[in-house]
Amino acid sequence: MVEVLIPGTLAEALGMLADREGAVPLAGGTDVLLDMRTGRSDPTVLVDMSRLDGLRGVGIDGDLVTIGAMTSIRTIERDAELAARSTAVPEAAHVLGSVQIRVMATLGGNLCHATPSAEMPPPLLVHGAEVDIAGPDGGRTVPLADLFAGPGATTLDPGELVAAVRYPAPSNLGSCYLRQTVRWSMDLAGVGVAASVAVDGDRITTATVALGAVAPTPFVVGGVADLMADDPWDPERAGEAGRMAAAASSPISDARGSADYRCSVVAALVPRALGIAYRRAIGGWPVGRFSPTNGLVEEPA
Amino acid sequence: MRIELMVNGDPVSRLVEGSESLLDLLRNDLGLVGTKWGCLTGDCGACTVLVNSEPVVSCLKACAQLDGSTVTTIEGLTPTHGLSDLQQAFVDHFATQCGFCTPGMIMAAEALVNSGVPADEAAIREGLSGNLCRCTGYNKIVDAVMSVIEQRNA
Repeated sequence: MVEVLIPGTLAEALGMLADREGAVPLAGGTDVLLDMRTGRSDPTVLVDMSRLDGLRGVGIDGDLVTIGAMTSIRTIERDAELAARSTAVPEAAHVLGSVQIRVMATLGGNLCHATPSAEMPPPLLVHGAEVDIAGPDGGRTVPLADLFAGPGATTLDPGELVAAVRYPAPSNLGSCYLRQTVRWSMDLAGVGVAASVAVDGDRITTATVALGAVAPTPFVVGGVADLMADDPWDPERAGEAGRMAAAASSPISDARGSADYRCSVVAALVPRALGIAYRRAIGGWPVGRFSPTNGLVEEPA
Repeated sequence: MRIELMVNGDPVSRLVEGSESLLDLLRNDLGLVGTKWGCLTGDCGACTVLVNSEPVVSCLKACAQLDGSTVTTIEGLTPTHGLSDLQQAFVDHFATQCGFCTPGMIMAAEALVNSGVPADEAAIREGLSGNLCRCTGYNKIVDAVMSVIEQRNA
């Protein structure tokens, strides 16, 4: 029988995780309870994070966005400021699970469950997010990419927690998240694509693409900035970025698609995501309006 | 562990076991069997209830996290006499076929309508996309919810 401990402070939570071997943090429960019910895990102690109000909420200070680990996906989805400044992040939140799941699920839970197809990592990766980690020996901050060790595995040491996610959201940067699914709702991504583009006028200064569901961990595609930077929008180079991203992918074949199909989808979605991110960066897209998940909109001229 | 919460306006104080779900508490302990036991994996929405006015799938909600919460189930939505506007709209639009998904569907719809959603078919379908109707009676359900949004906005 599982025991649930309910700490009132982060320090208490860290103490409980340190004292009780095998204790599992419980955030929204949409993964932890599901894994227990389906027999994928059998923890003896759960440490409930829901009373740690300091880990909940969205803060914006200048160009820096901070999102507490216990912030619900629903809160992120509906935050107008996030939609204006880092559109890919609420855009990904918007397609995660269902309303009910989004109300319950948290950002920290989505990251720490480390599902390769999780919605939240790719948009955060293209914003250059870092995670604040709290642990028994104090805190540390690591790039988000370094949090993921493999399917279902993180680099967190025993007793450590993700406390918050931080990323810059300058006004000259646009971002976008697209995905391919078999069903529109309540499905995991077969392919998840995030892109960000920063501009100076109409000239691209940098561009980043991150992928989910096509490798053991979410990852940033190398070389996209070198390809796109220092010039205005070029659809041919965006297409080339898509081919680079497909070449960097190493998907499995499963019920959501074959490996070959997933690579083809990556090649198709990357230029669309870059195009929408570019439009958002130059102010050519309605602020706060999400894209269709397949990104099928007119390419920027 | 002991939790105290409000269920449909009544105070409830219960000892709960670690991983006991809100669905277990509602059906097995409180006898509120309007909330349906469906997939138990958060996929079907049949167990949807409101916790602090937000829709959740009660099968994946640990009771241990609910101390101090306010829970509303389909029983709590139903007035002493007659039906709520959403319930009546489901009747009027024949949005209930076998009826199994209906309580969860109505609780999700209640949250959706209360959220101030516009009378827009796509928005309604999206708001209800966590609720499966295996009779596939979705069009009539959307019609019923649409009529309530229009009534409440009128």
